[in-house]
Amino acid sequence: MSETHIIDVGEGAAIPSRSDWGLFNAWTISIVGAVCTIAYLILFEPSPYKRIIFYLADGVIITFEVTVISIICACIIGLITGLGRVSKNKAINLLASTYVEIIRGIPLLVQLFYIYYALGRLLNVHDLTAAVIAMSVCYGAYMGEVFRAGITAIDKGQTEAARSLGFNTKQTMFLVILPQAWRTILPPVGNEFIALLKDTSLVSILAVSDLLRRGREFSSETFLYFETFTMVALVYLVITLLLSKGVSLMEARLSHYVRH
Amino acid sequence: MSDTSIPTPPIVDIRHVSKSFGALKALNNVSMSMSLGEKVVIIGPSGSGKSTLLRSINKLETVDSGTIIVDGLDINAPTTDINKLRMELGMVFQSFNLFPHKTVLENLTLAPIKLKGMSKAEADEVGLKLLEKVGIGEKAHVYPAKLSGGQQQRVAIARALAMSPKIMLFDEPTSALDPEMIGEVLDVMVTLAKEGMTMAVVTHEMGFAREVADRVVFMDHGGIVEEGTPEHFFQSPENDRTKLFLSQIL
Repeated sequence: MSETHIIDVGEGAAIPSRSDWGLFNAWTISIVGAVCTIAYLILFEPSPYKRIIFYLADGVIITFEVTVISIICACIIGLITGLGRVSKNKAINLLASTYVEIIRGIPLLVQLFYIYYALGRLLNVHDLTAAVIAMSVCYGAYMGEVFRAGITAIDKGQTEAARSLGFNTKQTMFLVILPQAWRTILPPVGNEFIALLKDTSLVSILAVSDLLRRGREFSSETFLYFETFTMVALVYLVITLLLSKGVSLMEARLSHYVRH
Repeated sequence: MSDTSIPTPPIVDIRHVSKSFGALKALNNVSMSMSLGEKVVIIGPSGSGKSTLLRSINKLETVDSGTIIVDGLDINAPTTDINKLRMELGMVFQSFNLFPHKTVLENLTLAPIKLKGMSKAEADEVGLKLLEKVGIGEKAHVYPAKLSGGQQQRVAIARALAMSPKIMLFDEPTSALDPEMIGEVLDVMVTLAKEGMTMAVVTHEMGFAREVADRVVFMDHGGIVEEGTPEHFFQSPENDRTKLFLSQIL
């Protein structure tokens, strides 16, 4: 699971930084390498790679579904938790803090098992639903901390200016503080997105046929362990790289108003 | 200049107010009132409680004891809607505190649209007029980060004025500015004063106090030491601490 990184607002996409010369940056090399390797294997060694990639395709969709739905739910939970953590209401504050403490103290894999079996026993929910709930509850706590840090990083003068105009606490938060906090929150939140995507591989332990589980199923039938997991790793890499690019493009768009 | 002839009740009435930050007594039994249209300049050494006093008028600081009546309402009474009352009290801060994610014009129109239900067109019109008034109409659509300190502070004044407040509170509005920008901000404040705005100004600008103030209040160690007209204050101060302070800054 990723750390909350030091918030660093870049110059934006229009001005490449020094380590970012043209096409020869780490991101480009990685994505081109991964895509070319996949293409090469499928075209020149269709047996077994073509069969593997077709078998994995269903898993990619499941991984994508779990990731997207969990990210959305975790953001909502995270925002509520973050607001709870900065709340002056002691009960709300304590509730949010306790949630974060408990979740951060239990490994994600254990949480997955726990929620999966607990929910399965009590409510008989669908496997995929249980997986999404577990991912969201866990990452909601981590994102709550990111949101809290982003909110408290905004200068106190902003709150004072808004309150002095007559805005109440809620209006101040949603009209003045949060719109500014997005900018500082986005890089660490983007890291959480990517960590979440990678951690969805843990749901393969449950009966969820995600990318990794499809790979395990295929390899245990065919004994092509090396070939299968080469493909699994490459596909994860491509998805992760695309997501990280998406996040950095969003950051560049949000940073426009701070440039002098 | 005697103000005994003014029959209206004071618009701001501060009675026996005290406030501590931990062991530090920021305000010690302070009483002060302002009538409509009056310009009060509060001066004093740093740490004297002048900013705390100003900030307690719109409840950015909550006082420990005493009462503050603004426009007939006790600001600490549970029945008082402080948010509504704050709409009547424009405030300008030392550090400008413009909203960096909004353009200059949006800084001015946000509160009128959201709090007064003004249409965007109407708020824009009011906002542009105010920006013209403070001399930066051409910067309406840029972000605050592109403005100089003096320009930002003028926008901050216009933002407060956009709510058509009855009283303007200025908390060291020129202290964070480069010397060459102080004049442009003071000019705006002088104009505002001449138009009859009720103003409470915490400042170190003695020229401004002389020119604009109806009354100068000198604070030290959390209390009001001496107050009077600028003539009295600058020419024949009575208290030794006032004399010492003036000799140090003039």
